[in-house]
Amino acid sequence: MRRRLLTRLLAWGATVLLVHAAAFLLMRATRGGPFDEERALDPAVRASLEEAWGLQGSWLEQYGRSLAGLLRLDFGPSLRYRGLAVRDLLAQALPLSLALGGLALLVALLLGLPAGLAAAARRGRLPDRLLRLLSSLTLALPGFVLAGLGILLFSFHLGWLPPATAGGLRHLILPALSLGLPVAAQVARLSRQAAAEVLDSESVQAARARGVSGFLLLRRHVLPRASLPVVAFLGPAAAGLLTGSLVIEQVFALPGLGAFFVQGALNRDYPLVLGATVVYTALLGALSLAADLLLARLDPRVRSLG
Amino acid sequence: MKPAVRASRPALALALAWLLLLLGLALLAPLLPLRDPGEVDLDRMLLAPGVDGALLGTDLKGRDLLARLLFGARISLLTGALGSLLALLVGLPWGALAGLSGGRLDRWMMRAADSLESVPLVVVVLFLLTLAGEYRPELEALGVGRLGIFFLALGLLFWLPTARVARAEALRLRGSGFVQAARALGAPPSRILCRHVLPNLLPAAVVLGTLTVPRVILMEAFLSFLGLGVEPPAVSWGTLAAEGLAALNPLVDCWWLLAAPGAALAATLWSLSICGEALQARLGTGAP
Repeated sequence: MRRRLLTRLLAWGATVLLVHAAAFLLMRATRGGPFDEERALDPAVRASLEEAWGLQGSWLEQYGRSLAGLLRLDFGPSLRYRGLAVRDLLAQALPLSLALGGLALLVALLLGLPAGLAAAARRGRLPDRLLRLLSSLTLALPGFVLAGLGILLFSFHLGWLPPATAGGLRHLILPALSLGLPVAAQVARLSRQAAAEVLDSESVQAARARGVSGFLLLRRHVLPRASLPVVAFLGPAAAGLLTGSLVIEQVFALPGLGAFFVQGALNRDYPLVLGATVVYTALLGALSLAADLLLARLDPRVRSLG
Repeated sequence: MKPAVRASRPALALALAWLLLLLGLALLAPLLPLRDPGEVDLDRMLLAPGVDGALLGTDLKGRDLLARLLFGARISLLTGALGSLLALLVGLPWGALAGLSGGRLDRWMMRAADSLESVPLVVVVLFLLTLAGEYRPELEALGVGRLGIFFLALGLLFWLPTARVARAEALRLRGSGFVQAARALGAPPSRILCRHVLPNLLPAAVVLGTLTVPRVILMEAFLSFLGLGVEPPAVSWGTLAAEGLAALNPLVDCWWLLAAPGAALAATLWSLSICGEALQARLGTGAP
C-alpha cells in the first residue's frame, strides 16, 4: 500500500511537471512575443519588459526560470492585470472556487445518494422512473442552460436568490445547484445500480430473514456496499465539477479560478493561463488520489491489490 | 451483473421518431420556407413565440429563432457525429492493440491513458484553442479552419473511454476460440488484428459512437459558450443557448431565447442516450 502511494505521488508530481513543460513549450512556440505591437518599442524598454516577464535568454534558460518559479509557486506577473502577480490572483480566486466546488459536491452526494437508494428500493415503480427521467434530462442539458433556467425561475420570477456576483452563502446557492445537479444525476444512477445489486444479494436476503429491516438494513448492509461505486466516481466527479466551474463562474460572475482561467485564455494572458493550468492539474491529481485512497480504505478488494 | 434498466418501448420509439424528424428537418433546412437565419430585421425584435408568424419568436436582432434553431441543428449534429467518429478512430485501434498484445506494451499504453485522465483535458483543450487562434491565417491556408481544430480538440477529449472499452473487448476476443485458432494456424498479429479483432469490435464501436455523440454536442455547447467554439455567422445550439443566456435580464422577459435551444438540446441528447442504451442492451457490449 505504501509503495503504491509513493508511486502515485511520484506520478502526480511528474504529471504536473509534464503539463507545465508542455504548456510552457506551447506558449513559447506561438509566434511573436507579448510586446509586439503596432508601434516599435524602445529597445531598452523592450529589454526591461522582457526581463520582468523572464523572456530574456534562450528557451532553455527561460524554461529553467519558469521551472524554478513553479517550485516556489511563483508564476511571475500577469500580462494583463498589470502590477499583479499571477500567484496573488490565483490565491485570491482559489478559496471561492473551492467553496463552490465543495458545495456542489455536497449537493451531488446529498441529493444523489438518497435518490439512488430510494429508486433501488422501489425498482420499476414511480420513484425509479421519475429519477430516471430527471437524471437523463439533467445530463442532457449544458450546465449554463441549467444555470440560466435557474436564474430565470428563482431570481427573476420568484426573486428568492441573487442572480449573480459573489458575496455570502446565498450567492453560492444557485451556482452550487447548477454545478452539482449533473453530478448528482450520475451519483444517483451509480448508487441505484449498486444498491439494486446489493438488495438482491444473498447477504441482504439473509439479513432480511433474520428480521433486519428498515433503516438498520440500509445503514449496515446496503449503504456500505452501494456507496463504493460512488466513492470510485469521486475522481471523475471532481474533473466534471472543475470543467463545469469554468462556465458556472462565468454565468454567475464569480471571480473564481475558472473565471480567471477563461479570461486569461481569451486575453492571451499566458502567465496567468500557465499558472491556472498547473493549479488545475495539481488539484485534480490530488483529488483523484484522495478519492482512490478513500476507496482503498473502504473496499477490502481494492486494498488487497495494493 | 444485472442488465441496466432498459428504456421502455414507447420511450425508444419517441426517441427514434424525434431523431429522424430532426435529421430530416436539418437536412432539408435550406429548402424549407424559413426566413434567412442571419437576416437582421430590427422591426421584428424580440417577438414572443407565435406572434406575427414567428413560431418560436425572434431574437434581439429580429432574427427568426426557428430558422436559427434548424440551421444550428445542422452544425450541432455534424459536430456530434464527426467528433464521435474521431474519438472512435483514435480510441479503437489504441485499445485493440493494447488488449491484443498484452504484457508490457499493454501496461504502458493503458498507463499513458490513465495519466492523461488525471490531466484536466478541458483546460488543455481551451489552451490549445487559444493558441490556435494565433496561427489562424496559416491554418486557413492549409485548409484547416476553426472548426477543424475544434474537431481535433474534441477527438482528444473523448478517445479515452473508447480506448478502455476497446481494450476490454480485445482482451475478451483474444481468449476466444477463433483468435486462438487463427494464431495456431500461424496468422501474423496484424492479420489477427485486422481480420478477427477489429471487425468484432464493430458492435462496441456502434454503441460507443452513439453514446459519445451527446457528450460531444454538450462539449460543443460548452466551448461555444466560452467563445472558443462555433463562430458567427455559423450558428449551433450551443451558440444559440449562449446568446439566450446573455440576453437574460430582469426587465425584458425573453425566456424563449434560452428555453428553445435548451429544449432542443435536452430532447436530442436524451433521445441519443436512450438509443445508445437500447443498442447496448441489444448488442450486449460493454459500457464506456
